[in-house]
Amino acid sequence: MAFFGVLLDWSEAWAPLIPIAVWLRHRQQPRYLAPVVAYVWFAFVTDLLIDGIWKLRLTIPPPWNSNNWLYNLHSLVRLFLFSWFFVRLRQPFLPRLKRWIPVLFGLYAAVDFGFYEHFFDYSNLSSRLLALEAGLLLFYCLQYYFYKVKEDEEMAGDQPDFWVVTGLGVYVAINFFIFLLYKELSVYYTRFAVDIWNVHNVSFILLQLFLARALIQKKTHSPAARYDPL
Amino acid sequence: MNHPDGNIKLLVLLGISVMLLLFVSFLLVFISTQRRKYQYQKNLQRLREAQQDLLIEAAVRSEESERSRIAEALHDEMGALLFSAKLHFQNIRLNENDPGNWPLFRKGQEMLDEAIRKIRGISHNLHSSILQEFGLFEAIKHFLRTSVDEHLMETGTSLECQYTPASKEDAVSVYRMVQELVNNILKHAHARKLHISCVNNGGVLVITLFHNGAGLTQEQFEELKFKQESMGFKIIQNRLILLKGKLFFSIRPDGCYIDLYLPQTL
Repeated sequence: MAFFGVLLDWSEAWAPLIPIAVWLRHRQQPRYLAPVVAYVWFAFVTDLLIDGIWKLRLTIPPPWNSNNWLYNLHSLVRLFLFSWFFVRLRQPFLPRLKRWIPVLFGLYAAVDFGFYEHFFDYSNLSSRLLALEAGLLLFYCLQYYFYKVKEDEEMAGDQPDFWVVTGLGVYVAINFFIFLLYKELSVYYTRFAVDIWNVHNVSFILLQLFLARALIQKKTHSPAARYDPL
Repeated sequence: MNHPDGNIKLLVLLGISVMLLLFVSFLLVFISTQRRKYQYQKNLQRLREAQQDLLIEAAVRSEESERSRIAEALHDEMGALLFSAKLHFQNIRLNENDPGNWPLFRKGQEMLDEAIRKIRGISHNLHSSILQEFGLFEAIKHFLRTSVDEHLMETGTSLECQYTPASKEDAVSVYRMVQELVNNILKHAHARKLHISCVNNGGVLVITLFHNGAGLTQEQFEELKFKQESMGFKIIQNRLILLKGKLFFSIRPDGCYIDLYLPQTL
């Protein structure tokens, strides 16, 4: 049990290694997956720092032993990268709104951190920012499915974008309420907040598994090998 | 420190469950809709293909019956008429005092013989009786022997593999494709060597035409088959669709290869 506890504690640091390992084997990816590849690398570096700071919080002097600003940064970058991914899919469905969402989110973050919250808050991550980000990403996922249902195009067997969107959808659906109420929980129910963060960690592992599946590219064959008589 | 409202924990758990449930339900609905759509498109595609096959089959059959009708008319009517003309011509009594008539008479006889031979050749080409009686490979060998001048091109065959066509019409279709390909090689490739072989590759008959002339690449074939003037390739393409076969062109250091893949269990 202790082993699984440690595994789960460090999951944010090691889980991105799964899609990274897949990417190292399948370097040639479609253009629209470039933001996803950028995200897994970013998630790996940031989450390694997050977990490192958390584990060494008693050794590192304050205010450097707080990792909350890294969560804020992760949230900002995640929304920008996945917005870029959805724009790059070139689905002719709400294209203007999809382009405006990151801009509006950036403006919101500027106003929020400028007047109401501190980006480098020592004791809390920005629940509002993370919840808004989860909500916006959920909107992106739902509009993707709506468009797919609406479009006449046949859905091919291997669709990396489907795996990315499904992984992301599961992750944000699970975490919307965790992010929204995490500040309250960490203040009033610290033990419960730590436990519920394990749910976040499990969903994060799931997200990375889905991203890894999306990065697996099927090989093409020569014309003669392609021959299938029936 | 305890929050005045202890329901917050419940709210989080409930929120997670509801959101997850909603998302998973949405996903399941999406997947089932996509499946239905995919199935519908597949059925539609199958229907389209069946319709296309029927049309092609009708076109190929009518082409074959037209060929047979012309072959029969040429053989039975024109052939008989020319033969009768030849007999009449032989019975003509020429004036022995006029020696200039003899060369003209012999020339006329030669021309009649040539016309009879040509009519027979065209008739056999249009409707191969060898194909009906001795099968596909004998017909291909015979066609190669009769249509290629051995002084201009060295030909050979290795056609000892097993092939059981689903119907006589299928064998005719394969024969026509090989005939068309050989005619193309004779017309355009300027080859000095032509070899036709076959192998049975796990239920797929592969007929390979090898020549050392100017051949086509697969890309050139794909381009040509959509051009209006490439009637021969269109005929081949239609028969390929009908037989669910494939055709691959390749140029290798030793020469040019045309591989015709034909599934045997149709």
